[in-house]
Amino acid sequence: MKKRLIGFITLLLMLTGLGLAPDQANAEDGSALQRIQDAGVLVVGTSADFPPFEFYAVVDGERRVVGMDIMIAEQIADDLGVELQIQDIGFDSLLPALEARNVDVVIAGMTPTAERRRSVDFSDIYFETFQNLMVRAEDQEVFDSIESLRGQRIGVQSGSLQEGLAEQIPDAEIMSLTDLSDLLLALRTNRIDAMVMQGPNAEAHAGHDDSLHTFVGDFDLEDDDAGSAIAFRQGEDSLVEAVNETLSYIAEENLTEEFLAVAGEYMAQAELDEEGEEIEESFISSYWEYFRDGTLITLLISASAVFFGLVLGSLLALMRLSNKFLIRPLATAYIEFVRGTPLLIQVMFIYFASGMLFNLPALTAGIIAVSLNSGAYIAEIIRGGINSVNTGQEEASRSLGMSKKQAMRYIIFPQALKNIWPALGNEFITIIKESSIVSVIGVGELIFQTRVVRSISFQGILPLFVTMLIYFALTFSLTKLLNYYEGSMNHD
Amino acid sequence: MIKVNHLKKSFGKNEVLKDINEEFNQGEVVVVIGPSGSGKSTFLRCLNLLEEPSDGEIVFEGTPLTGLKEKELNQLRQKMGMVFQQFNLFPHKTAKENLTIAPVKSKGVNVNEANHKASQLLQQVGLGDKEEAYPANLSGGQQQRVAIARALAMKPDVMLFDEPTSALDPEMVGEVLKVMKDLAQSGMTMVVVTHEMGFAREVADRVLFMDNGSIVEQGTPEEIFSNPKNERTQDFLSKVL
Repeated sequence: MKKRLIGFITLLLMLTGLGLAPDQANAEDGSALQRIQDAGVLVVGTSADFPPFEFYAVVDGERRVVGMDIMIAEQIADDLGVELQIQDIGFDSLLPALEARNVDVVIAGMTPTAERRRSVDFSDIYFETFQNLMVRAEDQEVFDSIESLRGQRIGVQSGSLQEGLAEQIPDAEIMSLTDLSDLLLALRTNRIDAMVMQGPNAEAHAGHDDSLHTFVGDFDLEDDDAGSAIAFRQGEDSLVEAVNETLSYIAEENLTEEFLAVAGEYMAQAELDEEGEEIEESFISSYWEYFRDGTLITLLISASAVFFGLVLGSLLALMRLSNKFLIRPLATAYIEFVRGTPLLIQVMFIYFASGMLFNLPALTAGIIAVSLNSGAYIAEIIRGGINSVNTGQEEASRSLGMSKKQAMRYIIFPQALKNIWPALGNEFITIIKESSIVSVIGVGELIFQTRVVRSISFQGILPLFVTMLIYFALTFSLTKLLNYYEGSMNHD
Repeated sequence: MIKVNHLKKSFGKNEVLKDINEEFNQGEVVVVIGPSGSGKSTFLRCLNLLEEPSDGEIVFEGTPLTGLKEKELNQLRQKMGMVFQQFNLFPHKTAKENLTIAPVKSKGVNVNEANHKASQLLQQVGLGDKEEAYPANLSGGQQQRVAIARALAMKPDVMLFDEPTSALDPEMVGEVLKVMKDLAQSGMTMVVVTHEMGFAREVADRVLFMDNGSIVEQGTPEEIFSNPKNERTQDFLSKVL
């Protein structure tokens, strides 16, 4: 499903891209490298829920993405003489983001499979890796090989190399999820019996959780599947060459060992923070900043979407009530189309499609998408409200010599607003909750931060609970606020 | 003051007004009577173009309203007050705000002046103590008196009344008619569609009887009520009197 979705988006992007940038994919005259050096910044896409490769840690009191891949990225940026900028995006959105030019390269412990090579180019392999199986500690005697897992329920990250490897397990029932934390939770709660995970990542998790056990799986690996490499857009050979130089330097000096050791310290430090105090207290005190940042961004997205949605919705509602040629069909078409397509696709479309034309930050793209979406719904609510006001009100206004505009503004609209207030409140609450969809393009709102906390705290359920409470606090305060204003509009 | 030439109005295939020619003069009080569905309300609503005539023209103070631009029409409408059967007060505004919103917003009167005029008008219709009341807290009779005051706040040259007492409980009809009588005595030009024959007889300078989209008969109250010539007028009056 996910794959088909991504395929569909890629297709759309290619269609939009065809007329716009037909020659960029093939022509290579050193321009890719030149472009990055001109811009002075290398934008690296990664998926920061993958310790020890990339994960969040507090460094000098500041939360950052750290890990081996990030240190490699720093080395590359240094050698190119540019700044490094990390973009944290969901793993299965990384390659679409690369192709849509939202990022320059992808460094995410990614294995250069033959399938991936069809759409992107890869650097040399910078890290030889192995593939593990992860099981519950209590099952470690029973499950010790691929064969022993025959017919069991196996979890894998969707769009990953491991998804293919899991097929080597005979008669396995495969469960694909986007988020590794969800898979680990599924394993702990007996929803699946084993997971296929990248070696060092599996060891990092098992090392933090006594209830888990991991071992190297006896998979048949193709040469390509045995390591991690950096992904590039096709045809950007000059950039690949430059990066390969850095990678061979890293290999000569055996720097990956060193990088892994540093990453291990960050992970240990996160664990150290947790110890000592009671678990609940320390959980909140360790991670409250993530929740705070997420809440602020969720609020920012929701407030902007409510505001722009109201403006756009009012405009569309008036257009739909207009008698002028073309105005009404235009508004109707917009509303029908936006209501008839999923917000998820709209968010991804706007982000990735805009990436091909100009650099629109993910947060802005998210706000635009959610605003455009809510505008369509609010338009219909407002139109209903305007129609619900007795025609006598307009006649009275017009008989007093008010213009159509004045009648709408001073007489009709305020009364419509009162009638639709509960429905608007409903829509606002929906916006708060649905804004979480922008996490797919890497916007650090509440759901996104929850995922981050789950991956770094090695806790599956508690972060979900905290997030639930925060959402409830937000929507409940909004309800109270709306009720207050509803009361003040009531003159009966 | 208002001249109606060959006015026709149809809703779809239904012809409601059939070639009406009429003239209303300065200071005149004209009452329009007739059975339900005779077209009298539509006729009244055509005078300020709340209904767009299908054909013919309305000339107000020398200017043809039909075919006028929106902006000019709005300005002329300010001089034609209208009172509706259902009052149509603005429920989200107090009595006083109902009176001030149009003068302030569309005529550009300054707020203090509008407030002063509003207080004075509410006093005039006997509601000086209801300035801050919302319509929902007023009785039907009180609401209609506010509605009359609202129309007067624009200082109109003519007042159009569309069955102003038909939606009222019987005990409230009197208070509204009293306000209308006072207004008539002050010299206001008025066109009143009503079923109140007593009011017509007492106040009207002229009575029009409409039936089936035409003005069938007209004359002084004396002529119409005591000595109707047309058969349909006789028939109608025998039923209502």
